[in-house]
Amino acid sequence: MKTDLTDKALHSEFRQKVEALSGQNLSDCYQCGKCSGGCPVEPFVEVSPTRLIRMVQLGMEEEALNSDSVWHCAGCGTCNGRCPMGIDIVRVKDALRKLTKKIHYKRGSLEAWTFYEAFLDCVRNFGRLTEIGLMGGYNINSGWLMTNVKKAPWYLMRNKLGVSPHTIKRVDRLQRVFKRIEEIEGQ
Amino acid sequence: MKFAYYPGCSSEGSGAEYARASEAVLEALGVELEEIDDWVCCGATPAHATSHLLSIALPAISCASAEKQSLDILTCCACCHSRLKQVNQEVRDDPALRAKISEIIEEDYRGSLNILHVTEVLAREVGLEAIKARVRTPLKGLKVACYYGCLMSRMPEALMSDKSEYPMLLDNLMDAVGAEPLDWPYKTECCGAALTLTQTKTVIRLSADVLQMAKQNGADMLVVACPLCQANLDIYQAEAEKLKGERLSIPVVYFVQLMGLAMDLDPKRLCLDRLIVDPMPILAQKGFVHGAVYL
Ligand code: SF4
Ligand code: SF4
Repeated sequence: MKTDLTDKALHSEFRQKVEALSGQNLSDCYQCGKCSGGCPVEPFVEVSPTRLIRMVQLGMEEEALNSDSVWHCAGCGTCNGRCPMGIDIVRVKDALRKLTKKIHYKRGSLEAWTFYEAFLDCVRNFGRLTEIGLMGGYNINSGWLMTNVKKAPWYLMRNKLGVSPHTIKRVDRLQRVFKRIEEIEGQ
Repeated sequence: MKFAYYPGCSSEGSGAEYARASEAVLEALGVELEEIDDWVCCGATPAHATSHLLSIALPAISCASAEKQSLDILTCCACCHSRLKQVNQEVRDDPALRAKISEIIEEDYRGSLNILHVTEVLAREVGLEAIKARVRTPLKGLKVACYYGCLMSRMPEALMSDKSEYPMLLDNLMDAVGAEPLDWPYKTECCGAALTLTQTKTVIRLSADVLQMAKQNGADMLVVACPLCQANLDIYQAEAEKLKGERLSIPVVYFVQLMGLAMDLDPKRLCLDRLIVDPMPILAQKGFVHGAVYL
């Protein structure tokens, strides 16, 4: 891969955006690789956490946001625990995930956004999550109808899924909270 | 001893047995719980992956409610615990954020409480000696692999106290009720639960590794303290067996279920029958239960 090491690339707008959103200073990363060494999904992805950080340092927006590593992440925090520089890599990944929303990169982000939206819709409407509502909503909206629903009979047999949604008392306040945040973040 | 109780969404669904068993054990050990009034979902990964403000506001609503009750918070779910704790800390340390969040949630929130996981309350507040004294049927000869997963072992305070790679809280609790906790290497490996719906294949591979390692180390059961780990490790065993080409079939039980058993609590309250891989055969074989009670 050809990389651009000009001053412009090293101080890209993309990098600044990621640093601001994540609150991390990416100059701290000296590419030691410890984050990738501990990462449980590293064997299954094309771009390791170490490389992903490098891409951001070098302003490689397209490659970074399109990499499978942005979504194929368990959020387990092992990378954070191992980083000798104390970089919060999970927050860097959160920042990249947020950026995919506006840009609509295809890889993995559609399923993930569908899942997040189904989850948060449920919380917004009821104040709590019902797993059956979530699984149903997610699988239908993402076209993955049969992937996990086939596990549902097991769960239903043992009454594992709360079937009726439980609504909190102050749901009106909660909806104002969601709305206020949308207004603040939309600005 | 009294706490504000944050049950979390899974307590009303797939993790109900965890909540019920925890409540039973805490009650038997004299810990009082007062449910947080009108608590809301902590937002979990979907909130913190999409909106920093939302990921703080949701836990803040429940914590502000607990502040009115003037009680420290106890929660059983490792995921909720990690979210609540992080938010509490962030708000406490940042006055500007405190003001902003209080305005958003229409309530004053100071971040003044301690947020405790049920394992901490049992091991440290109640204490191992008090637990030992309450045991009626020690789980002698039951080999357990304590599995902490990622959320319990990656908390900032755990990282600082050097407990993140080889924690002992669950092991100590299991030891206190007479079981035999194993020294095994996958205590803190991640099972991939956050990817259950989006990357099922990865999840099966990660879970299969954990299950196989527990088996190879001679575990009768895996013992967990997180509803996401439990569901994940329990539900994919058929797929994991296919992947590994060997029989695994290893029960994945909540630590409180075993504690309750050792304390001779009403088996109905421990909900051992809600697990998918049935722990009864091993428990009966070791003489800790009499099958008929559960059938
Ligand atoms: S949080 Fe994501 S990137 Fe970090 S170690 Fe876990 S799976 Fe890997
Ligand atoms: S562990 Fe930290 S310093 Fe090392 S490569 Fe990863 S992010 Fe960079």
